[in-house]
Amino acid sequence: MSYHFTANMIPLVIAALISGALGLYTWQNRRAIGAIPFSIMMLIVYEWEISYIFQLAGIDLATKAFWDKAMYIGVVFTPVAWLAFALEYTGRKTWMNARRLAMFSVLPVCTIIIIFTNESHGLFWAHQTLSTQGGFILTDNINGPYFWIHAAYSYTLIMIGLILIVRALLRWPAQYRGQMIWVLLATLTPFIANIISVFHIVNVLIDLTPFAFTVTGIGMAFALFRYRLLDIAPIARDIVIEGMKEGMVILDAGRRVIDINRAAQHMIGLSSDQQMIGKPVAEVFARWPELVERFRSVVEGEQEVSDGEGEKQRWYELTFSTLFDENKTMIGRVIMGRDITDRKQAERRLQESEARFRLIVENASDLIFGMDIHGCITYANPAVLRALGYEKEVDVLGREYLDLVTPEMRHKTKRIYQHQLVSKTSNTYNEVPAVAMDGREIWIGLSVQLIQEAGQVTGFQALGRDITAIKQAYDAMLIARDQALEASLAKTQLLSKVSHELRSPLGSILGYAELLEQSAFGQLNEKQKKAASEIIESSKYLASMVNELLDEAQLRANTTTLQQNLFALRSLIEHATSGMDILAQKKGLEFSSYLDPSLPQEIYGDSRRIRQIIINLVNNAIKFTREGRVSLRAWCPNGSCLEIQVSDTGVGIPKEAHSQIFEPFRQVHPDITHENRGAGLGLSIAKQLVDLMNGKITLESELGKGSTFTVLLPLRKAD
Amino acid sequence: MTKPFVLIVEDDPKLNEIITITLEADFEVETCMDGYTAMKRLNNLAPQIVVLDLNLPGTSGRDILTHIRSDERLAKTRVILTTADGRQAETLNNDADITLLKPVSPMQLKELALRISSMD
Repeated sequence: MSYHFTANMIPLVIAALISGALGLYTWQNRRAIGAIPFSIMMLIVYEWEISYIFQLAGIDLATKAFWDKAMYIGVVFTPVAWLAFALEYTGRKTWMNARRLAMFSVLPVCTIIIIFTNESHGLFWAHQTLSTQGGFILTDNINGPYFWIHAAYSYTLIMIGLILIVRALLRWPAQYRGQMIWVLLATLTPFIANIISVFHIVNVLIDLTPFAFTVTGIGMAFALFRYRLLDIAPIARDIVIEGMKEGMVILDAGRRVIDINRAAQHMIGLSSDQQMIGKPVAEVFARWPELVERFRSVVEGEQEVSDGEGEKQRWYELTFSTLFDENKTMIGRVIMGRDITDRKQAERRLQESEARFRLIVENASDLIFGMDIHGCITYANPAVLRALGYEKEVDVLGREYLDLVTPEMRHKTKRIYQHQLVSKTSNTYNEVPAVAMDGREIWIGLSVQLIQEAGQVTGFQALGRDITAIKQAYDAMLIARDQALEASLAKTQLLSKVSHELRSPLGSILGYAELLEQSAFGQLNEKQKKAASEIIESSKYLASMVNELLDEAQLRANTTTLQQNLFALRSLIEHATSGMDILAQKKGLEFSSYLDPSLPQEIYGDSRRIRQIIINLVNNAIKFTREGRVSLRAWCPNGSCLEIQVSDTGVGIPKEAHSQIFEPFRQVHPDITHENRGAGLGLSIAKQLVDLMNGKITLESELGKGSTFTVLLPLRKAD
Repeated sequence: MTKPFVLIVEDDPKLNEIITITLEADFEVETCMDGYTAMKRLNNLAPQIVVLDLNLPGTSGRDILTHIRSDERLAKTRVILTTADGRQAETLNNDADITLLKPVSPMQLKELALRISSMD
C-alpha cells in the first residue's frame, strides 16, 4: 500500500479531527439528551472521514479499494446512528430499544458483507477505475444494483430522522425560531452534500458528505451543550406539556393559537386530534366569550370559570400571562388552565359543614366562645351575649375574658387558666362568676379546652352554661341546712331545759312526799299517810309522763341518737319484764315470757331503747287486757335479726285502726284508756325507736280476741 | 362499826336536804352545794359513795366524775349520778356505778346506796 498525502487534504483532516473530538467530548457529556447516539454517530463519521482521507491518499487501486470498503463501515452505520439520535432528541428514546436497533442494523451489516465480497459478485460496485483530477487521485466507481438498495435505505433513515427533528423544531415556541432555522440548516447540510455528491449535481471532486456531517456535528453539539433550553424543548413539549394535567394554550401576538396541549383541548371540550393551531382565540374559547373579552388587554390575571351543570359541573382556574421579547414587545400570551373541581367541591362541602356547625353554635343555649392565647375573646355565640346582656358580638370581641369575671374572683380565675395553659391540661371545668353588662352576677359552669396545633397551644375553646339558678338554689339550700341545724340545736337545748325544769321540782315533790310517808318528819296518821302516798304515786306518774313526752318530742325533732354498746340480751329482757309480772298480777292476768335458746348472749345496740320498746309493748298489752294473759317471746329466726313478740288476749284493735295505732296520742278504746292513765305515746315511741334502729314493727289483731305486736330488729352480735 | 361515808353533791337545796335526810340514818353524810367545794373536799376525803348531781355550778359533775375515776386514792369510791337530762345520763352510764334520772325516789336511792356499800 502506498500513499501520497497532499496539502489540500489538510481541511479534510481538520474536519475529521473535529468529528472525532466532538464524538469524544459528547461521550464525556453523555448525560445530555441525545448525547450518546450523537457521540456514536460522530465517532462513526470520524471513521468514515479518516477512511476517506486514506482512500484519497492511496495511489493504487488496491489501496483505495481497501479504504473504500473501510469507509463504508462508517457510511452504512451513520444513518442508523442518526435515526437513533433523532428519536432520542425528539423524546422517543424508549422507542429505539436494543431489538429495534438490531433490526435497523440488519441491512447495513448485509451491505458490509456485500462490499467486502464485492470482487466475487460486483453487486455493489460493478467497476472501479482510477483517475487524477485537481491534485486528487480518485476512484471512479460504477455502482452495482445493491448500491441503490443501500442508498435508498440510508436516505430513508436519514429522512425519517430529519422529519422527526423538523417536526419537533416546528413546534417550538416562536422566540426560538431563529435558532430553529439554524439547527435545521445544520441538520440538512450532510443530506444536501450527499445528494450533490451522489448525483454529481455540482461538479465537486470529492464526496463532501462526511465533512458536511462535521458541520452538522458542530452545530448540533453547540445546540446540545451551549443552549441547554434547546435540547430540552422538544422533550418538554412532548413529555411535560402534553403529559401535564394543566391545560396550556399559547397565543401569538395576533391572538392566534400557536400551541395547545391535550389537557387544554380536553378542558375546552375538543377531542385531542382536532387541529386548533392557527385558529383565533375567540374561536377556541367560543363558549366563554365574556372571558375572551375581559382578558383581551390584561397582561396577567387569574379567573375561575365553570362549565356544565349539577353533577357534571367542572371548575377551572385560568392563569393568563403575557410573553415579551427582549425589546419588551409582546410576542404572545400563555393561558394555563387547572381543573379545580375537586378543590371547589371540597370547599363547598367545607362551607356547608361550616354553615351547619355555625347554625348549631349560633342556636345553642350553651355559651360558646373562643379565646386566643392571651385570653382575649375571638368568638362568642348569641347565648354568651344574651347571658351577659350584650347586644353585638363586637361588644365582647377582643376583650380579655377576665374583664367579664367579677373583680374579687379575677385573681383566682386567672391562676386556674394559667395553670391549665402551663400544664397543658386539655380540659378543665370550673364555676366562674361573670359580671353582666348591667352588673348582675352570673355563675357559669365553664368547660375550657386547649386548642393545640402541632403541640403548640394556640388558644382556648370554652363551653359554658348559666348555672346562676342552680347556684342560688344550692346556696339557699346551704342556708336552709344551717338554719335547720340551728333550729334542731335550739330544739335540743330547749328539750334539755324543759326536761331539767320539769324534773327538778318533781324531785322535790317525790322526795319530800316519800320522806313524809316514811315518817322522816314525824309520825303520820293514816289519812296523812294516804295523802303522802297519793302524792308519791301522782308524782311518779307525772315523771313517767314527762319522760314519755320528752322522748316523743326528741324523736319528732330527730334529735334522738342511738347508743351502740355491748350488753347481755337475755338479762336485759328478763330485767325489763321483772316489774311487769307484778303489774300483770295486780290485774289478775297471767304473764309469761319465753326466751329462745337461739338468742345470742351479748349483742351490740342501744340497750336502754330496746328495753324501752319491750316495756312499752308489754305495758300496752297489760293495759288493754282485762282477762287472760300476756306473753312475750324472743328468738332469732336467723343470725342477722332479733324478733320480739308480745301477745295478749285483750280487746283487740279493729282493722281500720291498725294504721293509726302507732300515731302519738291516738287511743282506740277511750273507755279502757279512761281506766288506765297514759298519754298514748307508748306505741308511738316504740315504733319510732324501732324505725330508728332500721327495724320493723307489725301488728296482728282481731277485735275481742287479742293483739300480737312483732318487732324485728337487725342484730349485731358480739364478735 | 362505823357508818359508810357519803359525800352528797347537789346544788338544789331542797334535793340536797331530801338526800341528806334519806341517807343520814345509815351513812356518815357530808354535803356540798357546788362542784368547786366538792373537788376541794375530795382532795382530803375518800368517801365510799358520792351522790353526784351532773348539772352543778363551778366544776361540773362530769369533771368531778372524771377526777374520781382518775384518782388512785378514790379507786374504791362508788358514784351514784343523778341528772335531769336523760341524754347525759345515757352518755355517762358507763363511768358512773349507778345513774338515776331525776326525779329520784329517796327510798330507791337509799336501797341502792345500801346495796353498793355492802358489796365491798
